[in-house]
Amino acid sequence: MSVPLSQMWAVTSYVLTQKLRGRRRFPLVLMLEPLFRCNLACAGCGKIQYPAQILRKHLSVEQCLAAVEECGAPMVSIPGGEPLMYPEIGRLVQELVARKKYVYLCTNAILLAEKLAEGLFEPSKYLSFSVHMDGLREEHDEAVCRDGVYDQAVEGIREALARGFRVTTNTTLFDGADAFRMREFFDAMMELGVEGMMISPGYSYSKAPDQEHFLRRRRAHELFSTMLSNPKRRWKFNQSPLFLQFLMGKQDFECTPWGNPTYNVFGWQRPCYLLQEGYAATFQELIETTKWETYGRGSGNDKCRDCMVHCGYEPTAVNHTFGSWRGFRDTVVATVTGKF
Amino acid sequence: MTEESLEGWAPEVGDAISLEELVERAFDYRGNVTVIKTDGTELEGYLFNRDRAAARPFVQMFDRAGDGPHDIPYSDIRTIHFTGKDTAAGNSYAAWLRTKGASKPASGGA
Repeated sequence: MSVPLSQMWAVTSYVLTQKLRGRRRFPLVLMLEPLFRCNLACAGCGKIQYPAQILRKHLSVEQCLAAVEECGAPMVSIPGGEPLMYPEIGRLVQELVARKKYVYLCTNAILLAEKLAEGLFEPSKYLSFSVHMDGLREEHDEAVCRDGVYDQAVEGIREALARGFRVTTNTTLFDGADAFRMREFFDAMMELGVEGMMISPGYSYSKAPDQEHFLRRRRAHELFSTMLSNPKRRWKFNQSPLFLQFLMGKQDFECTPWGNPTYNVFGWQRPCYLLQEGYAATFQELIETTKWETYGRGSGNDKCRDCMVHCGYEPTAVNHTFGSWRGFRDTVVATVTGKF
Repeated sequence: MTEESLEGWAPEVGDAISLEELVERAFDYRGNVTVIKTDGTELEGYLFNRDRAAARPFVQMFDRAGDGPHDIPYSDIRTIHFTGKDTAAGNSYAAWLRTKGASKPASGGA
């Protein structure tokens, strides 16, 4: 695991504090979507299919900060849309870093080199560029439906690393992914010098154009088992090892949909980052009025049946680490040995 | 998967579809709709939220200019027409693969 010690400590102390306070449902990562606009139109993405007036809208920095304060999560992930297209992204990141929030700026990196050259960001242990990379050149360009994007992303990563920024990658895998090509991809990312990688199976958005290539649970276990068995020591993953074990079928977790709450131009999204079943005006309303028992695999909800996505299960994995001796032991063993 | 688009659909609330069902369809639609109110006025825009469980059930919309949200009680709605382009329809992954294959037949693809 490649998460810096200071971040591990911040998350650990936060989770333990919530548990000591007896808080049953608490957020771990705020998914802050300041806009839906994007400079790509990936087939697997259900985030950008909106009328023009919605794509033109974006949150103000003040709205973003109010959501961050209200939510209280120690980490803030900024997806979208493409956050580097957000006109106030520099100021937003600066304000979040000043509040000591660990920020993952999720970007396709097409604009990264340009924005870095503009001096929009300063290196900080609180800021990590999480670059969308769905595999090696051929696989990535196919996933984002545009040739040349892999090379642009690599250029952006190199530029960010050269300037002293933390850089991670985030990878979404669909049916048909080749485990051995992915192992080559992990090698390539490590050679580039990224701090760590995040991987997750995709979710079948009902509005995403590509409905045929999402992974079903059994196939996902097979794929991730092949991909992550005998992992190389130099592979670093910026996520819970228990979540990786869950992807391999070695842990049986239930979803924690409130773990990564989502805020965007519509409000607080129910129930999670992936499903859109409505919106709450406040975070408190989201937590108190969402019928959480109707979501997750155990609920029998068809929409949740095959979902194994990190935003629902990574908080469960973290909770498991701090919720039982077995979970803590499994995490320590996987972290020390590098085996999943 | 193919899903028939509701684009252009102009139903009336009645035996065929209830107001509650129509609101759900509009909420699920990724395009602008036109809400026709009981007083004869109309509001066109994106219907992004609804709350049937509220004391006074309502929908929320951003209008075509992006202003809002506008809250409209269910009781003020006569019907909803699907007047805007369905942004989730078409533009498929398969179509992209076909385009890619046509332009670069020797380079493989999926």
